[in-house]
Amino acid sequence: MKQTPIISMKKICKSFPLEVGGEQQVLFDISFTINPGEFVAIMGPSGSGKSTCMNIIGALDSATNGVYELYGKDITTLSPDELAKIRNEYIGFVFQNFNLLPKRNILDNVMLPLMYRGLPMNERLERAREMLQLVNLENFETYLPTQLSGGMKQRVAIARALAGDPKLILADEPTGALDSKMGNEILKFFKKLNKELGITIVMITHEFEIAQYANRVIHIYDGRITFDGPIPKNESVLLKSEQKVRNK
Amino acid sequence: MTFYDIAHESWLSISGNKMRSFLTVLGIVIGIMAVVIMVAVGETVQQSITDQFSSLGTNTIMIRAGAAQSAGVRSGNRMTLTMDDVQYLSQLPDVAAVSPVENSGAQVVYGNKNWSTSMVGVYPGYATVQNIEMEYGTFIDMSAVRSAATYAVIGPDTAEELGMPKNPVGEIIRVRNTPLVVIGVTKAKGDSGMGSQDDMIIVPITTLKKRITGSRFPNSVNTISLKLYQDSDNNIATEQITALLRQQHKLKDGAADDFQITDMKQVMETMNTVSSYLTLLLVAIAAVSLLVGSIGIMNMMLVSVAERTREIGIRKAIGAQESTIITQFLSESILISFIGSLFGLVLGVGLSQGVGRFILHYNVPFSIWPVVVSISVAVVVGLASGVMPAIKAAKLNPIDSLRYE
Repeated sequence: MKQTPIISMKKICKSFPLEVGGEQQVLFDISFTINPGEFVAIMGPSGSGKSTCMNIIGALDSATNGVYELYGKDITTLSPDELAKIRNEYIGFVFQNFNLLPKRNILDNVMLPLMYRGLPMNERLERAREMLQLVNLENFETYLPTQLSGGMKQRVAIARALAGDPKLILADEPTGALDSKMGNEILKFFKKLNKELGITIVMITHEFEIAQYANRVIHIYDGRITFDGPIPKNESVLLKSEQKVRNK
Repeated sequence: MTFYDIAHESWLSISGNKMRSFLTVLGIVIGIMAVVIMVAVGETVQQSITDQFSSLGTNTIMIRAGAAQSAGVRSGNRMTLTMDDVQYLSQLPDVAAVSPVENSGAQVVYGNKNWSTSMVGVYPGYATVQNIEMEYGTFIDMSAVRSAATYAVIGPDTAEELGMPKNPVGEIIRVRNTPLVVIGVTKAKGDSGMGSQDDMIIVPITTLKKRITGSRFPNSVNTISLKLYQDSDNNIATEQITALLRQQHKLKDGAADDFQITDMKQVMETMNTVSSYLTLLLVAIAAVSLLVGSIGIMNMMLVSVAERTREIGIRKAIGAQESTIITQFLSESILISFIGSLFGLVLGVGLSQGVGRFILHYNVPFSIWPVVVSISVAVVVGLASGVMPAIKAAKLNPIDSLRYE
């Protein structure tokens, strides 16, 4: 039986209008497929277009051209409100700077996506407590984000991302604001989520060491995919792949 | 999102910035309070006008001697009205009661007390015209008028000031050395100040003219008060009275009236109109402060949207739709406005009732419509001042707002 891919991108292009007139294209014919249970790292130097790519994967932005199917559903041309619904249902975000609501306690933060989904309060509480248990923060329900360490905050963010039972966790430089010890902890946790619970994870990073926690790497350079495959032995393989674009 | 969620989220946002929310709420509190108090002032004025007239009755007409206005020398106390006029007027079909009225000041002596009050010489019809009811004894009758009897009806305050017994009927008071037998005491009307009916001595007009003031014109009358039947038309009656008096006074066509008619209903209507315009003006001024308060809300909401750009970005990223964001910001501004209105209403009603009752000793009327108005104003002001910031918040691009520092 053929699995429905979580993400299917076909010739995605993205360009932004420039203030001086004309437009700048940042993504060129991006095509890839991500299947359920994969742990994919999207890599690339800054300015490569990986952030734009992440925004499109995360349904925060739409492509200028091409077809994007999320879990078999074409979401290329949806309205902002429809995209909001898609994000709520299919995608759990984990951001570099956590992006928790600073004045809401941990439990409220984790329940937030469930509130927007319209779940009744008792179900929200039950689900949020379950998730906090999963990230070992069940004793911190009433704490404010500011009272927690960076690693704990990121675990809250993961709990929030998982609360909505998404098809996909989209992590944008999830260890960027953490020291290496905490960063490794988070990455191990991702690994565990992926292996034990089969959760599909797409992680954006520019560090090769971090990408190694994933099973597959997609390297983007100058708006084009230069490498897509299992994690290579060392980074030079990825850097060499950039030559293809440079030579064009 | 349920209603509870919306209210809860709004409350958390507002209480998260206590000082700013307090000041914004204060703007609305002051605005609503001003409106409520001004409405109360207006209603109090209107009520007191109505009260004063209802003690007289609106179907009362007063006729004074002398032309309303004349060129050159003022006509003043021309003796143009006579006892005969009173007789003729009493025969008009619309007239329920009529009485001549002659006013005079009086220094009253009773025992070793004396009291300065006003005295009025009248016919028995005066009781009906002025809605006088008796506490003790009887009012003056026609035979007392005919015989210029030394009888007096006194107001309850006069009796008290003179230190008379509880039922002073039969006691004798002296006015300008004329002894008068008290034959009755009027029921207290509760009005106070100048021309109070509760502090007054009422005597037959003949007694006043012949025995007390010693008028040289016993047949002339200063004022005639008359009361119309309940279902009479004041305007028609006024016309009839004018026609009758002109005929009696043999005035030629084109000659000015030598009397003035004051229709109490008209006076009351005029005063009511004036006072309602005044109320409107006061409320309009108060509404300006409400407007300023609502601009305060809009200002606060705009600042709040800018401050919470990242929060909005997070909410949108995890699934808040534009309408949800709009609802959230609108409900925040409505909540602020609502809290402000509630406190403004309580303070306004409390202040106006408190000041009225305990300082002015006047029953300030309490009506429901300031409540209705302030609650609807709360919603309208909240909506109006929240719409622009809310739309601004909803239209924020989640990608940019997530990056916003």
